[in-house]
Amino acid sequence: MTQIIFSPSPHIHTARTTGGIMRHVLVALAPAVICALWFFGIDALWVLVTSVISCIATEWLITRFMLRRAASLSDCSAILTGVLLALTLPSSLPLWMVAAGGIIAIGIAKMAFGGLGCNIFNPALVGRVFLLISFPVAMTTWPLPIGRFATADGTTGATILSQLKTGIANSCALDLPAMFAGDMGGSIGEVSTGALLLGFVYLLVLKIIKWHIPVSIVAGLVLVDLMAGFPPLPDILSGGLLLGAVFMATDYVTSPMTNRGMLLYGLMIGIITAVIRRWGSYPEGISFAILIMNGATPLINRYMHNTRFSGRRKEATA
Amino acid sequence: MNLIICSVLVLGIIGFAGALMLYATARRFHVDEDPRIDRIASVLPGANCGGCGLKGCRDFATRCVEQGSLKGLHCPVSSAENTSAIASILGVTAETAVRRIAVLHCNGSCQARPETYVYDGALTCAIMDATGVGTRGCSYGCLGCGDCVAVCKFGAISIDPATKLPVVDTDKCTACGACVNECPRHIIELRPSGRLDRRVWVACSNRERGAVARKTCKAACIGCSKCVKTCPFGAVEVNHNLSYINPDLCKTCGKCVASCPTGAILTSFTIPAKTATES
Amino acid sequence: MKHTFKKGGIHPGSFKTASPDIELLPLPMTATVLLSQHIGRPANPTVQKGDKVCRGMVIAENSAYISASVHAPISGTVASIDDVVLPNGKNGRAIIIKAAPEEHEADTAARNSYWSDTIPAVLSRDLSESLTADEIRTRIERAGIVGLGGATFPSHVKIDLKPTQKVDTLIINGCECEPYLRCDDAIMRSCPGYIAEGIELIMKAASISRAVVAVEDNKPQAIEAMRGALDSMHNISVMSLKTKYPQGGEKQLIEAVTDRRVASGALPVSTGVIVQNVATAFAVWQAVATGQPLIERVVTITGDIPAEQRRNYIAAIGTPLSDFPFSLPDEARAIVGGPMMGKTAVCLDAPITKGTSGLTVLSGKGRRPVQPCIRCGACSDVCPMGLDPYLLATYGRLRMFDEAAKADVADCIECGSCSWSCPSSRPILDFIRVAKQRSRK
Repeated sequence: MTQIIFSPSPHIHTARTTGGIMRHVLVALAPAVICALWFFGIDALWVLVTSVISCIATEWLITRFMLRRAASLSDCSAILTGVLLALTLPSSLPLWMVAAGGIIAIGIAKMAFGGLGCNIFNPALVGRVFLLISFPVAMTTWPLPIGRFATADGTTGATILSQLKTGIANSCALDLPAMFAGDMGGSIGEVSTGALLLGFVYLLVLKIIKWHIPVSIVAGLVLVDLMAGFPPLPDILSGGLLLGAVFMATDYVTSPMTNRGMLLYGLMIGIITAVIRRWGSYPEGISFAILIMNGATPLINRYMHNTRFSGRRKEATA
Repeated sequence: MNLIICSVLVLGIIGFAGALMLYATARRFHVDEDPRIDRIASVLPGANCGGCGLKGCRDFATRCVEQGSLKGLHCPVSSAENTSAIASILGVTAETAVRRIAVLHCNGSCQARPETYVYDGALTCAIMDATGVGTRGCSYGCLGCGDCVAVCKFGAISIDPATKLPVVDTDKCTACGACVNECPRHIIELRPSGRLDRRVWVACSNRERGAVARKTCKAACIGCSKCVKTCPFGAVEVNHNLSYINPDLCKTCGKCVASCPTGAILTSFTIPAKTATES
Repeated sequence: MKHTFKKGGIHPGSFKTASPDIELLPLPMTATVLLSQHIGRPANPTVQKGDKVCRGMVIAENSAYISASVHAPISGTVASIDDVVLPNGKNGRAIIIKAAPEEHEADTAARNSYWSDTIPAVLSRDLSESLTADEIRTRIERAGIVGLGGATFPSHVKIDLKPTQKVDTLIINGCECEPYLRCDDAIMRSCPGYIAEGIELIMKAASISRAVVAVEDNKPQAIEAMRGALDSMHNISVMSLKTKYPQGGEKQLIEAVTDRRVASGALPVSTGVIVQNVATAFAVWQAVATGQPLIERVVTITGDIPAEQRRNYIAAIGTPLSDFPFSLPDEARAIVGGPMMGKTAVCLDAPITKGTSGLTVLSGKGRRPVQPCIRCGACSDVCPMGLDPYLLATYGRLRMFDEAAKADVADCIECGSCSWSCPSSRPILDFIRVAKQRSRK
């Protein structure tokens, strides 16, 4: 006996799933992760593992015991948050701090708002900013790259951004190719521009993300740099700008839905980042910039609708 | 010490300036409102169910005051005392309204109407109804997804897991009519709660001919008119193969219940064994 | 650079695996002819129970301006005029005709000779000159022709232009953007010459000077065939469009071909374009040239069924779906129409109508478990009407129908691109439909 099923149209669906998208982003992060392991060695691995485990465990515990619903780990979003959080941390950070960051990221920034899709702020960035504000010294002690997957020897130094800020380095005398490859101090995932761009291209080709946000962020940064008379290239290559622009700001949940909205959002992130870098007290401002614009995203969505097929929206008749 | 005085002074000045600003704005934007609106709103249930046909309780109160009477305005939720309280605030006398209860014109339980089709889509009655006949093959009866449960602001409706049909809690039902408007099959009716809470109604909406109706549902009304003949008060009539009991004429004697061959007539009370055995 | 519509659209894959040949499906012994097979008022029956009818006779006539007459698809006796079960399980009024064996035999013989002898014989190129516009329109109206692409809008109404309406282009819709379906492709490949004449007739009837046959580029043979048939006609061109769903939607097609956009709430004719389906053009030719009203149409049977069962048939209107030779999988969705916009049938004894372009049988449930919206914006990106589907669906779910109306829910063409593209498998279109329905009240 044939079982007849009835359902509303459409009756076929795309093969792309939420979990699939998250896995693609993880794949896109792979080059950056490999570079991080190359430059920062086994320490980076421990940070990464701790961060991922703490994120997964937090999500599982909360869904299982507080929300009492089926665990939502299969969509891989907790793993992604864990990896992204780890990539924004220095490899020398004590592991308990990393775990605390993961718990805050998932517990406060994501699950407290209702889980996947409901959060206003990017969980990984909330975790990072929590750590940055709570443990400023540990969070700004950057081990210098040692290379070849070696174990750390404890050398630390300032990032190029803070050197620029304090006037130790001259922006004209920087080794740009080395910066592109990632041979500089910084958090685990932000150093290798090349690896991040590789991931960007992967996501663009698979149409996981659109170019609008990353490009407009860089454009906003360059705009302020040119107006203030700074060379823009070191600014783009250093710090977490590309990590933020490609992987953090493009987070679906916390970024605008329409192309116009994305451009405005990206431009504002770029401008705020540059302003913080130049005139703020922190050497790096991308995480704050993204979080500020995350907060503005609902507003952007409210006012920047899709453009209608037949042109402008009719005025609503009262 | 100097520091403390300084802080107290500065904060005090800021606080005073803020208070001044608040006062000025309150004066500037003050809207004169009839105090009766607030008083009526406090008597109203405050659930904003929309049962009166207006946007909410406050809208109802505003309309009452604007109009100066309760004419054409009826809060189905408010008790008789509350309605008269509103009337006395307005300075008029209230007419007494009959208390009503939502009843479901369907008794197609899982036993009477087994699931023949599988539905794959969002579980709401509105969507299922637009998609087709429903999982139980009846194009008139309850779909069982519980849209009425979702709209009931008073938690008076729940789906019985055994029959997969909504059950109305008569104590909680306020006859606001939200479920009546929501049901895509229009099978919920507000009936007078009746003397001693006795109600008799036909629990079927199937307008098919008897044989067809019976094929889809064992508990269907087949339009045989036996109830019409049995009723001593002429309260029952059959239209489009479907029986309907007029609540204004029905004296809730329950004779029709025994006469129905498919058991499509339900009551809110137990019929004495004598009447039941007569059939 | 090939033309297509600009905003949104998806690529659901073509799945057009049905054989492109057309064959005759035997006439049914009992035909159930619905009175409402078109948009507008149902037709008024002109026969009564017990009347003898012969094939092609009018059995119900149009009852209003927007309505279409209905003809007997088989000869026989009217068994009853009654409510019957529609494919979705609900009821509709129909005339049920039962044929005696000898009537069935005679009908079958007449039909076979019609398709094998009559049709090839009457192909001549001067019909549109010998008839006046009014004559053609009357014949179309008398034949009960409706839009065969699925919308079933009465054709004679569409080409009845008011003096204020200036129309310069006729678009013949051969896009068939629905996956799986292949009936229009099949007609274009086997009968391009007749379609060409049908186009000329429609152009004459509506006095339109230019026609464009729009075909998606995933049907190269159909394009080839139409180009060959239209070789000598300089005012009719064939346009190959870049494949994208929903190109067959009237508004999208007008934009793709002429770059004009239909304003919100306006009729497509306001842009100076009329769209007719290729199958409609063929039916018009049949009606005008051979006098056969719309009693048969091409139906694709396709989907997750054995390859040899995926075919195109010429079937009489009123044939039960179960008369088509196909086997259902264990868990089946039988979709009347294509998988994007078709509606699932629960009752396979229900008849086909003028608007039935095919039956797509899919196996198993089509939906994954619903996950939370991650606001990826895919639905907004693919919406061909430039709406905000995620927002409209939320309004529908939360019963905020006034807000939905203000967000232009009425513009939704229910193409299903949003639901198709959602990675969280959310029932977006389901709730938009609720919002659309309820905000209209």
